[in-house]
Amino acid sequence: MTLRWFFILSLLISLTSCIEIIDDLSLNEDGSGTFKYNINLSSSKVKINSLLALDSLDGKRVPSLEEISEKFNNVVDLLRTKEGISEVTFSADYNNYIFKLKCDFSSLSALQNAIHEVIKSENGNKSLPELEETWLTFEEDKLVRSIPQITVQKAKEINTEDRALLKNGSYTSITRFYKEVDQCENDRCVVSKNRMAVMLRTDPYSLTQNPNLLDNAIYLVASN
Amino acid sequence: MKVLIASIMALFSSFAFSQSSAALVPKQAFSVFSINNVNLLQKISLDELVKYEFMEELQQELFDGSTSGKTLKDSGIDFDQKLNIFFGRDDAFEVAGFSFGIDNTTQLFEVFDDFQKSESNYSGVDFYVSYFNRIAVKGNTGVLFRVTPNMETVNAMTDSIWYARGNDWPWSELDETLEIIEGLGKPEEVGPDPEAIEFFDEMEIEENTSTPIENKELPVADEDPTEKTYYELLDSVELVLQEQYLKAVCDDLFQNGDNLLSNSPQFKEQIAHTSESVFFLDNSKTFRKTNDFSFVQSLYPGFYRSLEELYTGNVILGDLFINENSVNLKLNAQYGEELGSVYASMTDTKFDKNVFKYISEDNSAFFTYHVNLRQAYDQMYDIFHPLLEKEAEKSYSFSSRLMLMELLDELMNKDAIFGTYKGSMFGTYDGIQKVKTQKFVFDYDEETFEYTEKEVEAEEDMPIFTLGFSTERTEIPEIILRHAERTEESCRKEGEYWVFDKAILNAAPMYITVQNGLFIVTNNESLVKNHIDGYGSKSLDKSLMKKAKKSGFIYGHADLSKAIENVPRELFDDEENEMMDVIRGKSGRVEFSSSQTSNRETSFDLVYDFTDVQDDAGTYILDLINSLYVISK
Repeated sequence: MTLRWFFILSLLISLTSCIEIIDDLSLNEDGSGTFKYNINLSSSKVKINSLLALDSLDGKRVPSLEEISEKFNNVVDLLRTKEGISEVTFSADYNNYIFKLKCDFSSLSALQNAIHEVIKSENGNKSLPELEETWLTFEEDKLVRSIPQITVQKAKEINTEDRALLKNGSYTSITRFYKEVDQCENDRCVVSKNRMAVMLRTDPYSLTQNPNLLDNAIYLVASN
Repeated sequence: MKVLIASIMALFSSFAFSQSSAALVPKQAFSVFSINNVNLLQKISLDELVKYEFMEELQQELFDGSTSGKTLKDSGIDFDQKLNIFFGRDDAFEVAGFSFGIDNTTQLFEVFDDFQKSESNYSGVDFYVSYFNRIAVKGNTGVLFRVTPNMETVNAMTDSIWYARGNDWPWSELDETLEIIEGLGKPEEVGPDPEAIEFFDEMEIEENTSTPIENKELPVADEDPTEKTYYELLDSVELVLQEQYLKAVCDDLFQNGDNLLSNSPQFKEQIAHTSESVFFLDNSKTFRKTNDFSFVQSLYPGFYRSLEELYTGNVILGDLFINENSVNLKLNAQYGEELGSVYASMTDTKFDKNVFKYISEDNSAFFTYHVNLRQAYDQMYDIFHPLLEKEAEKSYSFSSRLMLMELLDELMNKDAIFGTYKGSMFGTYDGIQKVKTQKFVFDYDEETFEYTEKEVEAEEDMPIFTLGFSTERTEIPEIILRHAERTEESCRKEGEYWVFDKAILNAAPMYITVQNGLFIVTNNESLVKNHIDGYGSKSLDKSLMKKAKKSGFIYGHADLSKAIENVPRELFDDEENEMMDVIRGKSGRVEFSSSQTSNRETSFDLVYDFTDVQDDAGTYILDLINSLYVISK
C-alpha cells in the first residue's frame, strides 16, 4: 500500500504547474511553539478544476472534492488526538485551492512525533525508515532543521515531466524565535529586519534534486 | 447468357464465402470490423494488438507470455483471408470474438498455448478451450469467441429456482444485520468498509486484487450441506446457460450455416468490398437488444413493434481506404423510409452564411451543422401521432401521452421555439491561449516575515472555443440574458456582449452575444472585444467555406498540428484521450463531410491527409478501428 496522504499531495503537485508552500515554525523560549503549513495552488485553479471534472486520469480514479475534503479532515482530526499538540485549525478554500494548517505544540519532539504518527497511520500503521530521523532539534540557543526525507522522496516519485513543472513553484521555510538571531549556517537564508525570523526559499523542483537545500543551523544571540 | 453468368457468379460467391473467415461471424453480431488486407498487420506485435480496447473482451486469459516478442506473422494466421472482429448481443447472451484464416495450425497453438483441445460434436470442426474462450477450427478458418449469458436472465432464473425450492428472500440475513445495527443507533457504520474505498491507490479489480471481498454471510438454503447456497445456484445457472447458448451459436455456425453472412444482405455486400477494412454496424439490432427498451417491449409490445419497424434497415456500413499519404473512411448510414423522411426533412434547409463571419482563418478546427428542427418536429409528429393513436385505443397510459402530445402541439408557440433555436450551429476551436484569471500570492513584510494573502491577476492556458446557434428571434435569448444581468452578481453587460465571470472552471470568464442572427457563446475575449461583427477579411478561407456549404448537414475540418497537439490531456477523460491519441503526434488535415440526406441514406466521408508517415498503415487501421469500437460500443 502506498502512502495515501502523499498520493493527494503528489496529485496536487504533479497536476499543477505552480505550487507555493510555506512552512512556518514559531518557537517559544520553553520549547513550545506554533507550526503553520500553507499550500497555495490558486495559480493553477483552471487546471485543478478541469482535472477534478474527470473520472480518471492515467488509469487512476480522480477523487472528488468531497473525498479530498474528507481525507484532509480525517488527517486533521488525527493530528488533534496527538500528545503535545493543541489548537489545531485547518482551513481549505476550494475556490482558490489554498490550504492552511496550524497547530500549537508543547515541544519540537512532540511535533515530530505527531507528524510521524499521522504519516504512519496513513501508511497502514507501517513504520517508514525515513521518519525515524530527527529533522528538528533545539539546544543551547541553536536550532537545527531540515526537511523530512519522506516529503522529498515522495516528490521524486512524480514523473520527470511533471516534476519539471515544480520549477515554477516556491517552497518557503520560515523560523521565528522569541529572541534575536545571531547567525545561520545556510548561505541562502535571510534574516528579517527585526532579526527575530529567518527565511529560506527555493523551488520544489530544486528541493527534490537536493533535499539538503533547506538544511540550516540557526544560532540565537546568547542569553546574558 | 445472363442466366449462365449469374449462375457462375452465384456458384463462385457461394464457394468463396463457404471458405471465408466471414462465414464464422455469428448472426447475433451487430458490429463487425473486418480487415481485408491483413498483410498490413504483419508487423504489428501481438503485445501491441492486445492493448487495443476492442480486444479487451478476449484478452484477459488469452494472451500471456507466449505472445511476447511475436508478431501476427508468427501466429499461424493466414494473411490472404480477412480478419473479422465482431461483437453481438441477443436477448439472452453476448458473443464477442474474431474469425480468421489459418495458415499453420501448429504455429497458431504455439501462440494460443493456453487452449486445450476438447471434444467436438461437429463434423470437420475442432474445438480448443481456455477458460471461457473457445477456438473453433474448420478447415483453414478459425474463430476465437466467448459467449456470456445476460446476467439479468441468469439472476431471474436463479431467483425462480431458489424460491421454487421453498427458500426465503436470500438477503434476509443481511436485512437482519442492518436492522440490528440501526437499532444500536450506529447507522454510520452501515456501508462499505473505509478500507475498501481505496481511491488513492490504483483501482482494484477482480483480476488483480490480492484481498477479494469475502461474503462472510452467504445466504444458505438450509442446514443441509448438500443444498446449494444462492451463489452456488447462481454459478450453476450461469454455467448451464452458457453451455446452452454456446451450443446454439455453434449449431448455427457449424451445422445450420446460419451466420451473419447468410442473415444480412448488407453485411454480405459490404464484406465483398476490397477496401483495406470494412465496418458493419446494425443499429436495428442495437435498438432491439439494448436494455433501455426492454420495459417498453414487455409493457407495450404493440408500440415496441412499431418502433422496431421504424428502425428496420438501420445500418451503418463503412470502408476504410489507406493511401500513401491519406486515410479515407467512407460511411453509409442506411435507414427505413419513415425514419429517413424525418432525417430528410430535418436536413432540408438553407445554409446560414453568417456562421462564416465568426470562424477565423487562424482556427485550429471548426464544424458547421445545419438542420431545420421545425420541419423535423412536424415530420416526427406525423409519424409518431398515428403510432400513439393506435395504442391509445388499448392503453390509458398511451391515451394520456397522446393527449399531452396533442395539447403541447396546440398550445406551444412553435414559431417562437423553433425561431429561437432553429437547429443550425457552428463551433470553432482556436487553440490554446492565455486567459486572465486571479490568483493569490503571499506578500511578506521584510521587518518580520509575517505574510498576508493578496489577490493579483494571473494568466493560465486554456483551450479557446466558440459555439454559435442560428436564431431569428434574437429578442428571446436577450430576455434571459437581461434577467441574468439583474440577478447574477457574476454577470454584466459590456457593450454588445455579456460577461459571466469565472464561468469556466470557476476561473475564466465566458462571453455571450447575439449578433447577426447568431447566439454566440465563447471564451474568446478577442472575438467579443475586437470582432463582434465577425472577422471580416480574416474570416475562414473561401475554399473551406465552399466545401462547408457544399457538404450535407455537417462539415468539419481540423488542422491536426494545431488542433490536437496543444490540447491538454487533463481536459479530457481516458476514453476521449484514447480517441485523440489516434492522431496525436501526427500532422495533417482531417476533413469530415456528409452527402445530401435522402429518405434512405446519408453518406459520410472522413479524409485524413498526413504529411509525414510516422506509423505503418497497420497501426492506422487498428487505431481507427479502436476509435470506431469505442464510439460504437
